[in-house]
This record gives sequence, structure tokens and C-alpha cells, in this order.
Amino acid sequence: MVSFTQAFERYWQPALLSVAFLILVGIGVIAASLAEQADTNARQVADSISLQKTLGNLLLTIRRAESGQRGYVITVDRGYLDDYRSGETQVAQILEQIRQAFQGHPTREAELAQLRDNVAAKFDELDAVVELVDGGRLDKARDVVRTNRGRDLMVEISNGVTRMMEEEDRTLATRSQVLINSNRNLLYILLIGVALIVGIGVLAVAIVQRTNRARHRAIVEMESTNANLETIISHRTADLTEANEEIQRFAYIVSHDLRSPLVNVMGFTKELDGLRDDLINEIAGMRDTRPVAAEAQDAPAGDRIAAISKEFDEALGFIKTSIAKMDRLINAILRLSREGRREFTPEHIDMKTLIGNIEKTLSHQASEKGTAINIGNLPPIESDRLALEQIFSNLMDNALKYLRPGTPGQIDIGGQETATLVTYEVRDNGRGIDPADHQRIFDLFRRAGPQDVPGEGIGLAHVRALVRRLGGYMGVSSEPGRGSIFTITLPKRFGTRGERKTA
Amino acid sequence: MTGSQPVSIVMIEDDEGHARLIEKNIRRAGVSNEILPFTNGTDAVNYLFGADGSAKVSKNRALLILLDLNLPDMTGIDILRRVKSNDILKRVPVVILTTTDDAQEIQRCYDLGCNVYITKPVDYENFAQAIRQLGLFFSVIQVPA
Repeated sequence: MVSFTQAFERYWQPALLSVAFLILVGIGVIAASLAEQADTNARQVADSISLQKTLGNLLLTIRRAESGQRGYVITVDRGYLDDYRSGETQVAQILEQIRQAFQGHPTREAELAQLRDNVAAKFDELDAVVELVDGGRLDKARDVVRTNRGRDLMVEISNGVTRMMEEEDRTLATRSQVLINSNRNLLYILLIGVALIVGIGVLAVAIVQRTNRARHRAIVEMESTNANLETIISHRTADLTEANEEIQRFAYIVSHDLRSPLVNVMGFTKELDGLRDDLINEIAGMRDTRPVAAEAQDAPAGDRIAAISKEFDEALGFIKTSIAKMDRLINAILRLSREGRREFTPEHIDMKTLIGNIEKTLSHQASEKGTAINIGNLPPIESDRLALEQIFSNLMDNALKYLRPGTPGQIDIGGQETATLVTYEVRDNGRGIDPADHQRIFDLFRRAGPQDVPGEGIGLAHVRALVRRLGGYMGVSSEPGRGSIFTITLPKRFGTRGERKTA
Repeated sequence: MTGSQPVSIVMIEDDEGHARLIEKNIRRAGVSNEILPFTNGTDAVNYLFGADGSAKVSKNRALLILLDLNLPDMTGIDILRRVKSNDILKRVPVVILTTTDDAQEIQRCYDLGCNVYITKPVDYENFAQAIRQLGLFFSVIQVPA
């Protein structure tokens, strides 16, 4: 889940934003081209309208020129002739405008040519009449008018212009429709664009907020780490103080426990010394029957010798067992010291298998005692295999050793994990440990409760030293007559909390 | 020892060799009282306080306790504390006889109400002499009945 989020942030966020940006650019390009098209269409519509106006103007100007010419014909007033002439010039200009507008449209150019011909013919007719009037031949001029040729030409011109205007009407309708369509398309595209901008904006805000939240979390974490630094230091100091106290207790215990057998060795050697004197006296007494040691005065000589022999045996026995005990103690200390120096080789360990193997070695003993061993959920760990084997076989062996009489034993081994730590638990329903002894049981050569099971008081001291060296800690919670729970907390990966050498 | 009832010496000492040496030297001082040896705290506590822990069993006993501090199953200090805080046993003289010569430990024992604190000499000659003197002391000490 974490890696997915990281991948999302690393690759998907920029990709998403890039895609969104590209869509925006696309929308912009489409909108721009649509606007351009609409602009063209609008201009075309405007062109059509102005062309219609020009066509209307053409017809009007021709009629005005015609009416100027008629005025002249009737009144022979030169003023009317001027109107006619200027109308003629204007018509030529308007025709030129129309020609430019029709350029590139062959059918319309053809129509225009027809119109121009008609217009030219019309003006020829008008000019001819004007010439006749100028020459004073009014009758002739009237005859020309009477031929109705001028009227016919005018009708044809008018029809041609009307056709053109109708044609232009159609064009205008098509162009207007196109303009409406393209304007509508532009509107749609702009609406889509706005929606996308809003969508991308929301997305961007969400992404920014996410990033901000992540940053905020990191900052909070950092601040709490800083704030915890002091706590961590005080914890470490407490750890060190505890370890120091343990070393002192250890030194005291070792010196005391090694001294005790020495007192015996010396004491009984001295006793032997005394017995030797008694013996010599006894032998001397056998010769002269002189009374010997005060304690043995009343007994017969044979009994006295037997008593001395018994004491001899006792003294030698104590000396031997004391020397053996010292040897055992020294060996135990040596073993502990060797274990404290052994290099750990961390490896991935399937705890279920490891505990299962220990259970197999204990199964015979367990079934003999009617004890059930139940292995629960055990998270894997990266640590030293041998150390873990020693820790758990010691704890399970203890659980099996100190059962509650009359209750079938039940040993449960379970565990749980956090991000960096693994906690294992060995729980039994045995005889339990008095709270006053909860620290003492971890001391070297110290035991608790009734001394009905042989043991040296080394196991738990050894276990705790190993747990410490693995960078963890252990605890016990127990009540007499209810059972005990030994809890071992270790770093998930050896070396992540820092190894501590034990004394 | 004088008194209407012979005093029993409860000797709580885990090292059997030490127990034997102590007994021998007490006897050499002429003390013939019964010595009840216990090699661990649990058995001694059971004897002193009984099964119910009330010490009613010790009501009519005349006792003197010789106590080692380093026991396999509990510390002698725990036994001392229990004895001195029990209404029936609190007047019983307790003699601490141990290898510890730690000043704090000695002070703690006297605070808890121990009557005599003796450090076991490592040197046997001194050890034997100390025990014999202790035996002489026992022979004159008065114990509440």
C-alpha cells in the first residue's frame, strides 16, 4: 500500500497533470480554430449582406441615371444630363465592386458578364437618345424611346440583379447557418473546456492537499521525534543504569558464591587437621590407654575410631562437593562470558519452525507430564538462530519444569509484531512466581519458590543476557498459583536498535 | 541458655557445609540446644509461619534464628522482614550470619530489626572462633518464652 502510494506520487501525479494540461492545450487550439472559422463565416455573412446592398444600389443608380436622362430628354436642361453622367460613372464603379466580389466564381462571373452586357446595352440606348436630343432631333429620340427597347433592357437588368440577390440570399442563409453552428460548437467546446479546467483544478487541489498532508505528517513526525529525543536519551540512561546495577549485583553474587565453597574447603581442611590430631592421640592412647578428645571420652576405643572415620569422610565429602561446586560456578560464569562474546549472525528465521523444533525435543517430557504445548501466531524475525533457540528452549523447559501439582500443564507460545518490534510470549499455567522474586529470578545463581526441582539458577540470567544482546528486553508477569507469562520483545531486524554487550 | 523451655536454634543456611561447620563450632562452645537446620527459605518460612502464614504454630516455641542472607529461593532480608513484622515472632532474636559485609546491607538489616549481624570470616580460623563466641553468647542470651 505504501509502495503503491509512493509510485502514484512519483509517476502518476506528474503524468496526470501533464495529460490534463495537454487536454487544456487541445481545447484551446480547437476553440481558437473554431473562433477563427466563426470569424471567417461572419465576414462572409457580412460580405453577402454588403453585396446585396451593392446589387440594390446598382439597380437604384441605373434607374437614377435613366431618370436623369429622361429629365434631359423632356426638358433639355443640362443639369439633368449631369445627373445622368454621374450615374453612369457610379454604375461603372459599382459594377467593378461586384466584379471583385464575384472573382473566382465562374457561374456568377458569367451571370455578371450577362448583366454588364445588358447594362452596357442600356447605356448605349440612353447615350443614343441623348445624342439625338443634343442634335435637336427630339422626334427621333422619342421614336427610340418608343421602341421599348430601353424598357426591356431595364426589365432584364432588374431580373438579373434580382436573380443575383436571390442567389446571394441563399448563400447568406447557408453562411448564417454555418456561422450559428460554428458559434454553437465554439460554445460547447468552451463549456467542456471550463468543465475540464474546473475538474483539473479540483484534481490539482486534491493532489496538492495530499502532498501537503504528507508533508505535514512528516513534519509532525519529525517534531515528535525531536520532542522524544530527550525521552529516548533518558530511557537509554535508565537502561545503562540498570545494566550497571546488574553488573554490580553480578560481581557481588559471584564473589559471594565463590567465597562460600572456599569457606567449606578451608573449614573442613582445618577439621581434618583436628581429626588428624585426634587420630594420633587415639593411636597413642591405644598404647597407653590415656584419655583423648573431650567429646569421645566415654565411648569405647572402637566406636571412637569409627566416629573419627565418619567425620573424616564427612569432611572430605564437603571438601570434594565444595570444590565441585566452585568448578560448576566458575564454568557457568565462563559460559556466560563466552556467550557474551559470541558474534551473532542474523538471518531470516521462521519462528514457527524454530519453536516447533524445540517442541519436538520436549514432546516426550511433555506427554510424560501430561502437558500440552500450543504454538500460536509467531511473526518471523531476522536475528541470531542459536541465541533464539537457547532463549526459547530455556523458557519452555522452565515452563515444563515448574508445573502446578494437580493441574495439567498448558504452555502457549504466541507473538505479535509492530512496525519495528516483535514480541513473543511464553505463557504457562504453572505454579507461578511471587512478585517479590520477579527481579531475583533473572540474577545469576538465584532461584525462587520451593527448591524441589534441580537447577543452578543460571537459565534465566543467561536468557536475559541473550535478549539484551539481541537488542531487546524481557519481562515477566506472574502470580503464585496462577501461572507465568514471559514476554520477549526484540527488534524485527537484529542491529536496528543497537547491540549492547553484557558483562 | 536459660528459661522455662529449651530454646531451639533455627538455622537457615543454604550451604550444608557451612551449616555443619556452624553446628560443630556451636557445639564446641558447649551449647547443646536443638538445632533445626533449613537449607532454603521456603522450608524455614513454612516452619516459622505454618501453612496458613500466621505464625500461630510458633506461639509456644522458644526460638532463636540464625539467618543467612543469600538463599537459593529468597533473600534472608525477606524472612527477616516477615519475622520482625509478625506479632508472634517479632521478639525472636535474629542473628544474621552471612558473607556480605556491604555497609548498606548491614544497615538495612538493623533497620528491619535484626538483633546481631555477623559477617562470616573467609578465614576458617576466624570463622570457627566467631561461631564459638556466638555459641558462648547463645549460652547466656535470654529469649522470650
